[in-house]
Amino acid sequence: MLRPLAAISHFIGLFLIATLSMTSVAHADRLKDIQAKGSLICATLSGSQPLAYQDPVTRQYVGFDVDTCAAVAKHLNVLMVHKPITVEARIPELALGRVDLVAAAFGYTKERAEQIAFTSSHYQIPLKIIVASDSGITKFSDLAGKRISTEKGSTPELYVHRVIPSASVVTFQDNASQFLALQQGKVQGFAIGMASGLRFVNESAGKYKFLDEALAYEPTCLGVKKGEPELLAAVNKVLEDMQASGELDALWNKWYGSQTKFNISRGKLIPISAL
Amino acid sequence: MLSLNFSSVLHGQYLHWFLLGAICTLLLFAVSWVIGFLLSLIVVAVRSSGARFLVAAAAGFVGYHRNVPELVQLFVWYFGVPQLLPATWQQLINNTGNSEFIFATIALSLNVAAYMSEDLRSGIRSLPSAQLEAARALGLSYISSMRKVILPQALKVAVPPLVNQSLGLFKSTSLAMAIGVAEMTYVSQQVENESFRTFEAFAVASIFYWTVSFLIMGLGTVWSKRLNMDGTR
Repeated sequence: MLRPLAAISHFIGLFLIATLSMTSVAHADRLKDIQAKGSLICATLSGSQPLAYQDPVTRQYVGFDVDTCAAVAKHLNVLMVHKPITVEARIPELALGRVDLVAAAFGYTKERAEQIAFTSSHYQIPLKIIVASDSGITKFSDLAGKRISTEKGSTPELYVHRVIPSASVVTFQDNASQFLALQQGKVQGFAIGMASGLRFVNESAGKYKFLDEALAYEPTCLGVKKGEPELLAAVNKVLEDMQASGELDALWNKWYGSQTKFNISRGKLIPISAL
Repeated sequence: MLSLNFSSVLHGQYLHWFLLGAICTLLLFAVSWVIGFLLSLIVVAVRSSGARFLVAAAAGFVGYHRNVPELVQLFVWYFGVPQLLPATWQQLINNTGNSEFIFATIALSLNVAAYMSEDLRSGIRSLPSAQLEAARALGLSYISSMRKVILPQALKVAVPPLVNQSLGLFKSTSLAMAIGVAEMTYVSQQVENESFRTFEAFAVASIFYWTVSFLIMGLGTVWSKRLNMDGTR
């Protein structure tokens, strides 16, 4: 009678000690963990040209976001470990601590800033709507009551609800399906950030175009877990250094510059306090 | 640590979305079930007919729908089939404003018809072959003997697997989210994206699916009791 009781109380005691010691480890500095491990787990999107996509020849992940991750890792003197994620998974992956840094067209909004910590905004891109060139739609008011496709959980979805409230929003899982729905006439507009949407407009040979108005100008940032001030400060410092040395401009021009088919300007490095 | 707050996702705009999503799921399920069930009766009758071309066609139908994943079938119907249709038909379908629901219904009902026809086929095989011979000997045509003698008996035997397929169909309605149908899974993701209350949003969806599945199982029990022959369980 007493022996099982003693065994159980020993077990409970060990369990409590283990949990309590784990909770003290949970307060440790993520930046120190990264430097101790020697690697930075960096997440990007996976099907978004030219931000992060698989090169069809080499099957490696390439793109502006991938290069930004690699540069941050290099400046922190650690290796980069790449992880592809979806748009909706960006916040959960950071909040659960499964990735260290997210570079995935992460637009700043106040609601998101309550869930994760944003770095300084390293580029600003307008959010626009793509329509068929022969549809006769020239401004947002023409889209009242019509159907617009966007990505689930994205800032274009948020701003379409705000700017064109009478339009019905249909969301699909990836950019290609959203554009296909536009091509097949199932929706009349496709809301997307200009940087991600340029490839569809350019490859359509004039059949599709951006509307002139912009839904919003979205500051895009990198994201780290909330409550890690050392890591946030370190990444912000890296971004400042890259801006000062021209590395950020060089990376941008490599993917979006005048000799590419995109040719859009980057904007500036805006600290979070100014947003 | 975690603070669960169900009232944060069950008020105002979010509750409205959840209700719409629930109605859409139930409607999608009901329409697909009715069409699928009626179609499965036809498919199994054709399959058991013995006319070689018809039997092969029915077997091909069942084979395609059982061997291709449902999600792929949904994509083929929603994105693929419209491209094969002439432009005027495409325009007609788009103008309904509800093409997602229509194509989801088509894809789901064809899929469940194939699975249900296999369950009914096992039901038919459990009957003595003398049943069909006796019916034909009495002068009933093949279709009449199927309708009045064989299928009613096969249905009584096949109720448990059919209830199983119905449960599967109910949960497969969540796949329609991938083609933009605003059913419960789509809506719970939408609520989660806006409110960032991940556990609460998906818990509401889970409770909905669980509750209605229990109702379906209950309906199945009632149905099998009403069809009860003397001596069968």
